[in-house]
Amino acid sequence: MKKLLVLSAALLLALGAGMAQAAGYAKQKVVYHVNYSDEKQLTAAMGNIQNHINAVGKDNIDVKVVMHGPGLDLLKIANTNPDMQQKVVNLKNQKVGFQVCNNTLVGRKINYKNDLFDVSEKDIVPSGVAELAKLQQEGYVYIKP
Amino acid sequence: MNEQKFSDEFLNAFVDEQLAAEEKSRAYQAIGADPALNQRVCELRKLRDLVRLAYQDPPAAPVPNLRTHRYRAGSVAALLLLTLGVTLGWLLHDPVAVPPVADAPAAAPLVTAAATALSPAAATRGRETKVLLHLNSGNRARMQEVLDEAELLLKHYRANRQIARVQIIVNGEGLNLLRADTSPYPERVSALLKRYDNLLLAACQNTIDRLKREQGLIARLLPGTVVVDSGVAQIILRQQQGWIYIQV
Repeated sequence: MKKLLVLSAALLLALGAGMAQAAGYAKQKVVYHVNYSDEKQLTAAMGNIQNHINAVGKDNIDVKVVMHGPGLDLLKIANTNPDMQQKVVNLKNQKVGFQVCNNTLVGRKINYKNDLFDVSEKDIVPSGVAELAKLQQEGYVYIKP
Repeated sequence: MNEQKFSDEFLNAFVDEQLAAEEKSRAYQAIGADPALNQRVCELRKLRDLVRLAYQDPPAAPVPNLRTHRYRAGSVAALLLLTLGVTLGWLLHDPVAVPPVADAPAAAPLVTAAATALSPAAATRGRETKVLLHLNSGNRARMQEVLDEAELLLKHYRANRQIARVQIIVNGEGLNLLRADTSPYPERVSALLKRYDNLLLAACQNTIDRLKREQGLIARLLPGTVVVDSGVAQIILRQQQGWIYIQV
């Protein structure tokens, strides 16, 4: 009996600690909108996302990056620039999704396998803008860094 | 002098569109005549905008409530768990009968269920899709893009027989898109408006006022476009009304 009480107390403590950690922020769903190609701005955006994840906790947040138009340059740059590549890889390791607009791929004749860093079929969405709309309808908060 | 006439509460109410018409017009006149006051109002609006964006997810429930609900749900969960532990303890006198692993899975779904119940069902926002496209840049490529995106969306929704409304809001340099003397695409704007009656093009009154004040310019807008008192306030309002927001 005594053992059990100790156990319950320990469990409660553990639970309490877990809740205290999560109490700062509720679970978040966020979509980051990238439609510019300026390298400094893109680097800053990657930094914003990392800081956001750090603040909320990587298991407490669902982040998607939607790129269209000039924004695809993010993954073009990541193809040749190891710093940018590392940033993208780090974010992907924290389950950040990078979504590429098919309208842009077609319109700008981009070959995603050669021109962009680490894009596969499942990362491609028909329209970047429609995807932004859809995600917001699903409760994702829109942020344009 | 206006600083004394208008308290922060009053200005906040103005920014939040909470004022009566008379008070509002009084505020407008004063703000138009006083750049410092105008600056303050702009800052308040920016702040509102940021707050709105940061907490956009639950449109109806104010943020503090969310917090208290969390704590309340947390304490309910803890209480339930405590009751569970104690009851089990009294019922099962043999401590070996309740190994630690037996409690852990019981606790986990409880917490998850509480967390799930808290996440707002933001997906249910009615059948009409409402999209607000925001342009604040005078860059020609951006101007073209905002029109392209609006047209793509309108085309898409019409093809899918989906009820939708699209609004373009311009402020700052973006006003050039809708000014009769500066717009690079007047024919296109007019054609779009003719083709889609669910498209609205709106310009920010504050920007128009600023042009007049700073450059003595009276901005004439393209036919069929409308004016809203503040672009930023409009963005906030629309998001509160469940519009999807995209900055071009």
